[in-house]
Amino acid sequence: MPELGRAALLVTLGLSVYALVAGAAAAHMGRRRLALSAQNALVASFVTTAVAAAVLVAALLRNDFSFTYVARTTSDALPTAYTISAFWGGQEGSLLLWLLILTGFGAMAVRLNRGWARDLIVWVVPVFAAVSTFFAFLVVAVASPFATQAAPADGAGMTPSLQNPYMLVHPVLLYLGYVGLTVPFAFAMGALLSSRLDERWLIATRRWTLFAWAALGIGQLLGSHWAYVEVGWGGYYAWDPVENAALMPWLAATAFLHSVMIQEKRGMLRVWNVLLVILAFSLSLFGTFLTRSGVVNSIHSFTQSSIGPWFLAFIAVTVAVSLALVFWRLPQLRSPTKLESPVSREAAFLYNNLLLLALCLAILWGVVYPMLSEAVRGEAIVLGRSYYDFFLRAFGLPLLLLMGIGPLIAWRRASLRSLTTTFRGPTIVALVTGVALLFLGAGSSIPGLVAYTFSAFVLATIVMEFARGTRARRALGAASWPAAFGSLISRNRRRYGGYVVHAAIVMLAIGVAGSSAFDRVAEAKLAKGESMRIGDYTLVYRSLDERASSNATEIRATLDVIRGDRDLGTLRAGKNAYTIEQQVSNEVGIRSDRLTGEDLFVIAEQIDADGSVYFRVFVKPLVNLIWLAGLVFLIGSMITLWPDRREQRRLVARAAEVGIPATP
Amino acid sequence: MARNASPARLVIALSVAGVLAVFLLYTSIAGGGNPSLAPSELAGRTGDVQLAGLVVGPVRGDAHAGGLRFKLKDISGDSRGSVGVLYTGSVPDLFKAGRHIVVDGELRRGTFVAEPGSMITKCPSKYAPKQSGDSA
Repeated sequence: MPELGRAALLVTLGLSVYALVAGAAAAHMGRRRLALSAQNALVASFVTTAVAAAVLVAALLRNDFSFTYVARTTSDALPTAYTISAFWGGQEGSLLLWLLILTGFGAMAVRLNRGWARDLIVWVVPVFAAVSTFFAFLVVAVASPFATQAAPADGAGMTPSLQNPYMLVHPVLLYLGYVGLTVPFAFAMGALLSSRLDERWLIATRRWTLFAWAALGIGQLLGSHWAYVEVGWGGYYAWDPVENAALMPWLAATAFLHSVMIQEKRGMLRVWNVLLVILAFSLSLFGTFLTRSGVVNSIHSFTQSSIGPWFLAFIAVTVAVSLALVFWRLPQLRSPTKLESPVSREAAFLYNNLLLLALCLAILWGVVYPMLSEAVRGEAIVLGRSYYDFFLRAFGLPLLLLMGIGPLIAWRRASLRSLTTTFRGPTIVALVTGVALLFLGAGSSIPGLVAYTFSAFVLATIVMEFARGTRARRALGAASWPAAFGSLISRNRRRYGGYVVHAAIVMLAIGVAGSSAFDRVAEAKLAKGESMRIGDYTLVYRSLDERASSNATEIRATLDVIRGDRDLGTLRAGKNAYTIEQQVSNEVGIRSDRLTGEDLFVIAEQIDADGSVYFRVFVKPLVNLIWLAGLVFLIGSMITLWPDRREQRRLVARAAEVGIPATP
Repeated sequence: MARNASPARLVIALSVAGVLAVFLLYTSIAGGGNPSLAPSELAGRTGDVQLAGLVVGPVRGDAHAGGLRFKLKDISGDSRGSVGVLYTGSVPDLFKAGRHIVVDGELRRGTFVAEPGSMITKCPSKYAPKQSGDSA
C-alpha cells in the first residue's frame, strides 16, 4: 500500500513537471495540441494525487501503524472522525491535502474557462503546474506521508484539545482559502505571460477569489470560537503569529475583491490588482511557512521542520519572478482612465484598499519584527498586543466608516449636493446613536464609542439601500413586499450580497468593541458558600464534584448565578485531567444572554485540596454578535457566490467589447 | 489632461506609506516591544524582557497566593544558565515541568519576576517528533 501512495505522488510530480515544461513550450510556440496535452496532464495529476490521498485515508482508517504518519498522529482508541482529521493534522498529510486541493482547483478552473479564454489558459496551465511541482516535490522528496516503519503496538494519539469537532472543519476551510488564492494568482500570471491584460482574468477568477476569501474568513471565525469555548482563557484572538498568518491573506484578498470592481467598471488600478494578487498568494505561502517552520514563538508552532527553507526559497522565487513579469508588462498595464476626483467611488475604494493594505503590512511587520531585529541587532524583539491593537484602531476605524461611504458615493466625481442628500440620514442616525451611548456610559472607551457611532452610520446606509431598492422593485411591479425584496437581491446578487457581508462586518466590529473595550473582569478565591460580585451579577460557589469519564477525571465547581434579584440558575466550571495524556484542561462555564448577546464567562483557575477555588470571571457584552456575524457573513458570501448566468454573460460580453484584440 | 490626476494618486499612496512608516518606527523603536531572551542570556540584563525557556521542576507555591516558583532553562538543553522564576496570575492548562513557556518580566536580584498573567505555553504536539524536553 505505501508503495502505491509513493508511486502515485511520483507520477503527480512527473505530470506536474510535464505540464510545466510542455505547457510553457506550447504557449510560447503556439502549439495547440501540445497545450491540450499539458492541460490533460494537469487534470491527470489531480487523479493521481487523489489516489495517494485515498491510500492515506485507508491507512488511517485501518490504523496501519506501519505508516510512520499514522502511528504518529492517531491511536487505536481515537474516534473515527478524528482519525480522518489526522489527515490534515500532521505536516506531511497537510501538504498532501494542499496538493490535492491545488490540482483539483487547477483542473477545474482550467476546464471551466478554456472555452472563452483559450489564449489566456495556455499560460495559466504552466503557472498552476509550477506551483504543484513545488508541492509534489515536497511530498515526494522532503516530507513524504508514506514513510514506513516497523509497526508499533499503538500510535501516539492526538492532543486532547484537537479532539474537537471544530478541528474537523477549521483547518480544511483555511486550506481551501489558502490554496484557493492560487487560482487568481495563476490567472494573473497567465495574463501577464500571454499579454492578454484585459479584464478577462478577473472575470474568470472572481468566484474563485470570493470562495477562497469566504472560506478563509469563516475558517478564522470558527478558530476563534474554538479558542473561546475550548482553550478557556477568556479571549478569542491573541494576535498570535499563526492567527495573523491567516488574517493577512484575508485582508489582502479583501482589498483585491474591492479594487477588482474598479478595474471592471473603469479599467483603473490594473497594476495594483496584479500586485494585490501576488501579495495575497505570497502571504498564503508565508502563512504556511510560519505555521510549519517554527521560526517565531507561537502557541501554535507545531513542529520545527525541514520544509522551512524550501518554503522560504519558493516564496522568494515567486515574488521575484512575478514582480519581474509585472515590470516587463508595465507599459501594457497602463490604465485607459484616470482618477478624476478624490471624492468619488473610485477614490473611496482606493482609500479602502490603502487602509486594508496598511493594516495587513502593519501586521506583517509585527510578525517578522522578531526575526528582523534578531538579524540586525542580534536580539529578537517581540511586539506585543498593544502594537496590534493600536493599528487595528488606527486603520480599522476609518475602514469601518468607508464601508458606509464607498458603496453609495457617486462614480467619477461626487458633488457636495449629492453627498449631502445621500448621507444626511445616516449621519443623523450615527450622531444620535453616539450621543445616546455617551449618556449610557459608553464614553469609558473612546475607540469603542467611535466604533459604535461608525457602525450605526454603516447600518443606516445598508438599511437605506435595501429599503430604496425594494421600494423601486415594488414600483416596477413586484407582487408583494417580500417578492420585491427577493427579486432585488436575486437581480443583483453581488451588490446586495456585499451589503449583507458589510452588515456582518459591522456586527463583528460591534461584538469586538463590546467584548474588548467594555468588558469587565473579577477574580477571587472562594470557599464553599462564599460569593463574589461582578457588574450586576452575583456568583455563589455551592459545591465541587468529581467524576471519572472514559479518558479523564472531570472536576466541576457549581455556582449559583444571580443578577439583580433574579435567579438565573447554575453554572459549572472546572478542569478535566486526562489520564493517558497527563494533561489538564480548563473547562469554562459560559452563560449567554440571548437577548443582549452578553456572556458571563467563568474560569476555575485553581482548585485547592481544601475545596476552595480561585475563580476568574469575565462579563463580555455583545460577544455573541461575533459568532452571529459569522453566520451573516456566510449568508452574504453565499448570495454573492450563487451562480448567476445572466451576470456572467453580461461580464463576458463586456470583456469581449473592451477586450484587447485576441491576436498576438 | 487626464494625466494630471496620476500624480494625485501617487501622492495619496506615498503619503499613506509615509504615515505608516512613521507609526511603525515610533511604535517599534520608542514604544512597544521587548527583547526575547533565553535564560542563559539573562545575566546582567535590566528592564522588561520576554523570557522563553523550558520549565524545570520542582514547581512550588501558589500562583494566586505568594506566587509560583520554578526554574527555566534554555530550550536548547543547557541547564547551566537556568534562572529561578516567580510567577503570579493565570496558569495555562499546559504548564508543567518539561514544557516550553514564554513569560514577560524582569530580573530582580537573581530571580526573574514575571508580570502577572503573562505566561503562555506552547502547544505540545503529538504530531511533532518527541523533543528532548517532552519526556521530563
